[in-house]
Amino acid sequence: MGHNLLLWLDRMTAMTVKELKQLSRDPVMLLVIVYFFTVDVYMAGSGIQMDLKQAAFMVIDHDHSAASRDLIYRFRSPYFDFKGELSNQHEALKRLEQSDVLLVLDIPSQFQRDLMRGKSVSVQMQVDASNATLGTLASTYAGQIIARYSEQYAEKHLGLGEAQLQAVPMVLDQHRVYYNPNQYDPWFMSISELLTVITMLALMLPASAAVREKERGTIEQLAVSPLSSAQILFPKVLAMGLIILLGTAVTLFLIIVPFFNLPIKGSISLFFMVTAVYVFATSGLGLFIATLSRNLGQVVMLVLLIMMPLLLLSGSWTPPEAMPSYVRQAMYLSPLYYYIEISYAILLKGAGLKILWDSLIGLSLLGSLVFAFGVWRFRKQFG
Amino acid sequence: MNLLRVKAIAYKEWREILRDRLFFAMAFIVPAMTLLVLGYGLSLDVENIPFATIDYDKTSMSRDYLHRFIDSRYFDFQGEVGRESELDELLADSRIRFAIIIPPRFQEQLLSGRNVAVQSLIDGVFPYRTQVSKGYVAAINANFSAQLLSHYMSQTQGITKEQALALAAPVQLETRYLYNQAIRSSWSMSAGLIMLVLMFAPPFLTALGVVREKEDGSIYNIYSSTVSRGEFILGKLLPYIMISFLNIFILWWLVIEVFGTPFKGNLLFFIPASFIFIVCTTGIGLLISLLVRTQAAAALLTMVITFIPAMLYSGLLVPVESMDKASQFESHLFPAVYYLNIVWGSFLKGLGWTELWGNVVSLLFYAVIIWTISLLSFHKRPKN
Repeated sequence: MGHNLLLWLDRMTAMTVKELKQLSRDPVMLLVIVYFFTVDVYMAGSGIQMDLKQAAFMVIDHDHSAASRDLIYRFRSPYFDFKGELSNQHEALKRLEQSDVLLVLDIPSQFQRDLMRGKSVSVQMQVDASNATLGTLASTYAGQIIARYSEQYAEKHLGLGEAQLQAVPMVLDQHRVYYNPNQYDPWFMSISELLTVITMLALMLPASAAVREKERGTIEQLAVSPLSSAQILFPKVLAMGLIILLGTAVTLFLIIVPFFNLPIKGSISLFFMVTAVYVFATSGLGLFIATLSRNLGQVVMLVLLIMMPLLLLSGSWTPPEAMPSYVRQAMYLSPLYYYIEISYAILLKGAGLKILWDSLIGLSLLGSLVFAFGVWRFRKQFG
Repeated sequence: MNLLRVKAIAYKEWREILRDRLFFAMAFIVPAMTLLVLGYGLSLDVENIPFATIDYDKTSMSRDYLHRFIDSRYFDFQGEVGRESELDELLADSRIRFAIIIPPRFQEQLLSGRNVAVQSLIDGVFPYRTQVSKGYVAAINANFSAQLLSHYMSQTQGITKEQALALAAPVQLETRYLYNQAIRSSWSMSAGLIMLVLMFAPPFLTALGVVREKEDGSIYNIYSSTVSRGEFILGKLLPYIMISFLNIFILWWLVIEVFGTPFKGNLLFFIPASFIFIVCTTGIGLLISLLVRTQAAAALLTMVITFIPAMLYSGLLVPVESMDKASQFESHLFPAVYYLNIVWGSFLKGLGWTELWGNVVSLLFYAVIIWTISLLSFHKRPKN
């Protein structure tokens, strides 16, 4: 019995070492792996900031008074960038059409006079909403600026000093933003990208290791060797899993933490444990891909095809509540959904097993199913 | 250039694509699927934010205040809890993204003319969503405060409510959203994604197709034949350009039918402009195929040089003007920026040749350069 176990271990080790050696002699693959775990995550983290930055705007100022200038002055950097004045609506539309400006403010004549008389005045804003995100952000910020201006004007006009402000019935907003107090985009973007990279490589690496044997015909040699199909497949998953975990550590400690100052709130060992479970599950899907394809080109195509719905159903870009309800139901079928929930919770929120146990069980169950399916398919083809 | 030879090679390539069923299916499925998945997946509409409350006051006024959140389509009420530690747990588990805590004596303070701070807790994991949520909260608060204030002043100063409201909130903002009145992010996204898909799918197919000949060794047949390099490249790429050309129509149809995005522009402008764009991107694929030897490397390199820049540096998510100088430079190295103007202009703004010709010229220029480089660097006598 003990002898058998030793033999089994010996074979597993030999095969795992073989896989690692094979990978180490493939410079292109190595380069790709290094690229994704370093440059790609860095670019994603530093590239996109989904906030309004220097949004160009122009003004049709019919009033040219101190009050209107004060209002325009409040639209300033870093959110807005004043590009000058326009004389009429026609010009405004042309600028908006050409995407020269994102928004145009229209200040009515008599703006100051009406304000002084205690009348309510409307300022018009035209926003280019062809990019809906920017349109939303621009109107949110503009709304806040105008509200603040309005409030301050009211206070001044009503002759209320700082001390008397207490004596006005008002609801003050005292918000606290949890987990990412300054809404620093790179934290979110880089983690999200890392999780995507892990998924992609966990699909791709084992699949291409398996398909390469098919392409070169070495799979026949393995089939006639005394190895069982588990002994052929498992070392591939193990070797590639090790590489991915190593890469994850590199990204986390050499890219995300030093460059983006991510404070890792939760337990790192828990995160790596969960990642290992996830990589294992996804590799099963990779092996399934390997059974469907004849060459690496097809592997890549299928990986893309499987990645897309996985990503959509994961909530990596969009949280579940923003999805239509039928899509939300389908999310429970995506292992990436659980993985992402757990990862954000550990890395940003500092959550532990006590809160995450349900997602963890979901991931493990789904993972085992997926892996078993992949191995079953592969066995049927070569067993 | 012998057109007969070009035709022969194109026909051979077409047969090869047809026989690789998986590849052929993928050529049409991957683009359509990418559009659908990202179109739905990258939804940036911030609605139905799940939230919970603690009401320490439990008066008619606090209920009235809370109902402004509960009845809003932006928020999705998950229930009331008793203790603040419960809110922390719900936030950590992502069951809620937002919470409001109403302090005791909320109504009493407000009625006696004093201000009250209401605490809100917001999940910051998705920064963009957080920013928008903050805006919603501020708007609801401002609205509620203005009403309180006007009510209070109409009582203390004996003026009508309308006058008081004008005094309390003198400046109103009237926003008009042009080109996309309901600011549906699916409209901008789905149209913009045509750019993304046509940026990566044509080079993907092309690079895989050309590199396959290298991998199989069948390229030596070409090297040793009488076919010139120009004839080979043209013949080889014609089927891929044709597939991508069909994809333009498929994508255009999907964007209109599935996402309900209006097409306000001119098809006689949009289709030729799109054709020039796929000629550009097919050229990128050709260039990639000259650099690598294996299909896997070709696929990955394509992802790296097309998909990622198209996503990050094209203006799809962040406008080019808002980027830092280095990124702005990088973005102009890719044709995606120009084509995105064409797509959004055609779909949402209803523009055509007169307004967008400059972008088309840039694309043409790009196409000429990239094809010249590829043609010059393709050799029938490779060094290794």
